[in-house]
Amino acid sequence: MPAIRVEGLRKSFGRALALDGLTFSVPEGSVFGFLGPNGAGKTTTIRILTGLARATTGRAWIAGKQVVSPGAQDLARIIGYLPEEPAFYPWMTPVDYLDYVGRIFGQSATGRRERVAELLKLVELIEVQARRIGGLSRGMRQRLGLAQALMNRPQVLFLDEPVSALDPAGRRDVLAMIDRLRGQCTVFMSTHILADVERVCDTVGIISRGRLLVEANQEELLARYATPAFALESDPATAGLLPSWVEGLRACSWVASVGVEGTLVRVVASDTDVARRELLPSALRAGLVLTRFETLRPSLEDVFLRIVGERGEKE
Amino acid sequence: MSFQVALRKELLEQWRTTRLLIVVVVFLALGLSSPLLARLTPELMKLVPGGEAFVPLIPAPTAADAVAQYVKNLSQFGVVLALLMAMGALALEKDKGTLALIVVKPMPRGAIVAAKFAALATSFAIATALAAAAGYYYTWVLFGSVEVAGWALLNVLLWLFFLVYTAVTLLASAITRSQVAAGGLGFAAVVTLSVAGSLPRVGEYFPGQLLVWGATRMTGSEVRSWPALVVSVAIVLGSLVLASVALQHQEL
Amino acid sequence: MAELKPWLPLLFPLLILELGLLIFALRDLRLRERTRGSKWMWAIIILFVSLLGPVLYLTLGREE
Repeated sequence: MPAIRVEGLRKSFGRALALDGLTFSVPEGSVFGFLGPNGAGKTTTIRILTGLARATTGRAWIAGKQVVSPGAQDLARIIGYLPEEPAFYPWMTPVDYLDYVGRIFGQSATGRRERVAELLKLVELIEVQARRIGGLSRGMRQRLGLAQALMNRPQVLFLDEPVSALDPAGRRDVLAMIDRLRGQCTVFMSTHILADVERVCDTVGIISRGRLLVEANQEELLARYATPAFALESDPATAGLLPSWVEGLRACSWVASVGVEGTLVRVVASDTDVARRELLPSALRAGLVLTRFETLRPSLEDVFLRIVGERGEKE
Repeated sequence: MSFQVALRKELLEQWRTTRLLIVVVVFLALGLSSPLLARLTPELMKLVPGGEAFVPLIPAPTAADAVAQYVKNLSQFGVVLALLMAMGALALEKDKGTLALIVVKPMPRGAIVAAKFAALATSFAIATALAAAAGYYYTWVLFGSVEVAGWALLNVLLWLFFLVYTAVTLLASAITRSQVAAGGLGFAAVVTLSVAGSLPRVGEYFPGQLLVWGATRMTGSEVRSWPALVVSVAIVLGSLVLASVALQHQEL
Repeated sequence: MAELKPWLPLLFPLLILELGLLIFALRDLRLRERTRGSKWMWAIIILFVSLLGPVLYLTLGREE
């Protein structure tokens, strides 16, 4: 049974369509990266799954239970939710807030005390645990947001853009915390930042204009869509030979495209195996003196831009 | 269970945001100043240039004047405070997003509405009780003894009167998404209720009649208005139910 | 003012309450980083609208 299953989800705001028949499923125990440009429908999806918003049509299930709005109590017990900008009561302290959340879940006094201490340690808020939340920094509030979402040890954790508002250090810390959750619960994390997905997510779903374009395991996605590229840099002494060599290269059947920037040449291959064998000898035959030859690791960014670009053009 | 958890948070909020303190201080001040003002009116007139001439025209102030002052001041400030304290209760939480974080947890929305009302009712109960004690003492010192049972009834009716406006404003706060809109809507409801309450015949069924009941009990010719009492309780319960239903249907 | 003299013991607690609320509101206004509306406006309201001024500031003017 998948942790999350979404079938033909549609959501319209007036005439605008935020979700247009979204369908996907998230395997249990995975860290799922829900990737898409701003305005693609990521937040709307999470709000429907948490019971905050209603789908116009379509259905969704979490742990086999159908999602409704307002959220059902039994589902509320097994999920955790961190919105993009979590808002707290400024007059409470982090301990007050987590204790309040624990009370909502009906936890015992000792259970709450232990869990609060454990979470404050996890999100590194011990030093400020007795300070008013109103005086905490943005990064601290984000970490408190993560802690409150984990108070009930959720089976499924929803994180909406958990790190996009943070500075690089805060981003690194929160991503590390998410990484540590692997195996404890299913994490559904929306983001528009590819590097974040690459760091922590094992499965990726790409959404654009309210539709899911691709859903796959991260390595599988890279293998399927990423086009390997090679970078060569010529010694300035032989730079004069570059134009004619590049000309010849472009005519080869195993080459998809060639880009030149000064003495740097970037070759995208259509047939990787041939390129691996042929590219270097070809450069040497042309008399080039190389200062660098490198196989570029395909990045998720390349894949993302290719997929979103491709589908965008078709419409 | 959920209600108790929510109520605990709301009471704590009343305390920590000093809202309880504000109502208590204002009500205490009104409880003290109303009898004083009634007693000192002739003396104050003498301080106004040329006012001396009017003093013989004013009848000597009595305990009834003190009661009338008390009812007038407390009811006016009470309504304003009910509006100020309840208008943001739900609207601000929706606007800021604090509510969204709570309702995704096993906390029924109706329990939140009920808890907010109960906490405000508690604040008003404490403040009214203190104002009653202060007002009773000053009236006794300045005018002689006052009937305790009547005074207690008057203050319970005043409290109920505040609850009507608290509940109606809470409903306004549940419907709207901004504190300002809730305040506007609540104010419109206050005006409607008081205009309707001043209409002949119809007025007897409105919450304003509770004040008449309490005041006449103190002057001896008690006008018991059970219809107004029933209508007031109905407005409170109806507003709370509607507020819960409204919140239930909203996307937060 | 001689007429009011016998009443001073009764006026005193009232004065304490009103002044206390006023000082509390002004102190909060001074320490607060952000208010809804300008600080000057609130200072004037607190000082010149008796009783209701501090109440208005404390319920509507405070912002985190």
